[in-house]
Amino acid sequence: MLTLFKLVQSLVRALHSEGTPQQVAAGIALGAALGLTPLASPHNLVIVAAIALLRVSVPGALLGLLVALPFGFILDPLFDSIGGALLTGSPALTPAWTGIYNTPVLSLARLNNTVVLGSLVTWAVLALPIYFLARVGVGRYRATLGPRIEQSKAMKAFRATKLYNFYRLFQP
Amino acid sequence: MARLRLFRWRAIVPLLLFVGLLVVGWLLLLDRIVERGIEAVGTHIVGARVDLAEADVRLADGAVVLRGLEVTNPDRPMTNLFEADEIVADIRTLPLLEQKVAIDTVAVRGLRFGTEREASGAITDPSPASGRVAREVTTWADAVRFPEFSLEGLGQAVNVGAVAPESLRTVSEAEGLIAQSAAVRERWDRTLAALDAERVIDSARALVEQLQQADVRALGPLGVTRLAGSTRETIGHLGEFTERVQSLDDAARSDFAGLQQDLGRLAAARQADYAYARSLLRLPSMDAPDISPALFGEAAVGWIKPVLYWLQLAEQYLPPGLDPRRYSASGRARSAGTTVTFPREGGQPRFLLEHAEASVELGGSGLEAGAYRAVVRGLTSSPALYGKPLEFLLRRGEADVGPADIRVAALLDHVAAPVHDSIEVSAGGIELGSLDLPSVGARLVPGRGAAALSLDRRGGELAGEWSWRSAAVTWERLGAESGAGQSGGARPPIGSREWADEFLWRTVSGIRNVEVAVRFSGELTGPELAVRSNVGDVIALSLRRELGREIQRAELEVRNQVDALVGPGVTRARSSVAGLESMLREDIGVPLDALIRARADLEQEIQRLTRRLPGGIRIPGGR
Repeated sequence: MLTLFKLVQSLVRALHSEGTPQQVAAGIALGAALGLTPLASPHNLVIVAAIALLRVSVPGALLGLLVALPFGFILDPLFDSIGGALLTGSPALTPAWTGIYNTPVLSLARLNNTVVLGSLVTWAVLALPIYFLARVGVGRYRATLGPRIEQSKAMKAFRATKLYNFYRLFQP
Repeated sequence: MARLRLFRWRAIVPLLLFVGLLVVGWLLLLDRIVERGIEAVGTHIVGARVDLAEADVRLADGAVVLRGLEVTNPDRPMTNLFEADEIVADIRTLPLLEQKVAIDTVAVRGLRFGTEREASGAITDPSPASGRVAREVTTWADAVRFPEFSLEGLGQAVNVGAVAPESLRTVSEAEGLIAQSAAVRERWDRTLAALDAERVIDSARALVEQLQQADVRALGPLGVTRLAGSTRETIGHLGEFTERVQSLDDAARSDFAGLQQDLGRLAAARQADYAYARSLLRLPSMDAPDISPALFGEAAVGWIKPVLYWLQLAEQYLPPGLDPRRYSASGRARSAGTTVTFPREGGQPRFLLEHAEASVELGGSGLEAGAYRAVVRGLTSSPALYGKPLEFLLRRGEADVGPADIRVAALLDHVAAPVHDSIEVSAGGIELGSLDLPSVGARLVPGRGAAALSLDRRGGELAGEWSWRSAAVTWERLGAESGAGQSGGARPPIGSREWADEFLWRTVSGIRNVEVAVRFSGELTGPELAVRSNVGDVIALSLRRELGREIQRAELEVRNQVDALVGPGVTRARSSVAGLESMLREDIGVPLDALIRARADLEQEIQRLTRRLPGGIRIPGGR
């Protein structure tokens, strides 16, 4: 429960004030990798390192993960087809896969799995569109919808409740 | 303007801590991960549960110790294929960085075969490979058919009324032949009527007579010349007509030969009718090659099924060549997808076991007591990369106590296509499982005996023999508790259940030496089976002795019945063909002879006429 509250708070903060729209959008794009590709894949260590080391919004990355995760499950058959086509349907790529498969450490990335490769390639293709869409989306949200929600009667009413006080208790 | 700061340097320490935590967690869970991995992969390959009690991974030493390994027999889920108390493997650590497992040596202790399981090892969702192989082998086993063996109903066998004329091939073929003969006759009648050979022959004969009576002096050279000319013209016409009749004669002979051929086929049809009528009698075959498969066929399929299963599975997991291979990935919360491997010449196989040794000690003073040694060399997922065939050897060590002997030698050469597998198994003095033979109403209890398997597989072709023999066989009567087959009182009638039970029990219960051999050959996915056994020989001999006269009488009766049904038809067909032959000879052969003779006579008369011309005058065209 505590974690959930903190997570919600960080997401709300990310959308409202923390970080520039670019940083939030970059976080969302990187977080989408964690959601679209199988989480326990070694390449996600690199993604996590990138989220931590690059000045991108960590809550944004969490948002990206949460939004992309269901799509990851839903699109698995598509990833399987894409990965299958790349691994076995393109003889020109076979030498590359053979090299990766037989290279120490790199072979641990499990890029020879259809779902891992298909989802990773799909994310790589979608990363930039996700970034730009998210940047526009966050900017617009802050300019239009965000202040309205802040000033809305519902939000004011929510702020007056004990639940909001409880929510504030978990602010980081 | 504030300088863009790309890196969050203060995150390095937490990140390193996070990675460190992951590594520590992984190391703590490594034993469990390996244990689960071996269970999952083993179950995936075998097609039945593989359980491991504990795994102890020591990466620094390059050693893995597995304890309490149980591999279920896919054919008998409550039995383990084998069980091992402890397996110690020396692994190479560098290939692990390529997700490859290379094991230098394995030592197995406490290996036992065929142990009972506490819980069923069957799995509901086998891997696609093992599931497909199991399905294919089961489909083959279900499709194999053996003749039935039953002596019941023999008394009611001779029922000649069951042989209906319309079911006999000879009757229908004879009727067809009669109709065909009539059609040919009708056609020839029309052709010969249009020919009118008699008129031509009469005209030629008249001319011959005219020439014979001609007076050369009265005719003079001019008259003779005229007469010779007109005669030669007639000879020419006669020759053309003769040729026409000759061609008709050839056609008639061809028609007749066809009918004669059809007539000859009636004999073969009658033989087929004898066989058909005999099959209606439910007479048991008295040939051992038919009886043995009927007795042991089902059991033979059960013996050969596992052989085919493991051979096909070996082909799945030890494929030849270096093409990319697909494996269904292990289960995950998300779709597991397919893992494709890309072997490279000179690279490491995905799995390699260089050398494994297992020692098995059976204590006590029993027949099997003693030490056994099993050696495996070159078990790999990529035989082409390893470059050598898989060798497996199991044999008795020196510390043998009892007389039992087991020897297994296998060489699986999958380095390149076509694959070549050679397996020899021999076991002596071992306890052979009992076998129910419902068609004989008895259970065969072989006791201790010898079994052997010899197999040679090249590419998709397989040939081999599975055999066992025992010299101390005992028999138990099936359903003895129901009192079936009790002797005493009047002798039961032939063909009754009591008679069949009594006869078969009397026959088999005296057999002490039993040998059964199953030969299999053909395609790996569906070999042909041939079963032979001395039990079949003995039953065949007894049947001949007991039933020989009965069966001969029944066979004679049905033959007579078939003869009675087909005889009239065949006689009519014969006479129809004979009548046609006589007609054709009369209407074509005889006129043809007459035409040839008339032409020769005319030639002769012309020569005679021209020779009598006075003063040696020659006429044009004269010879």
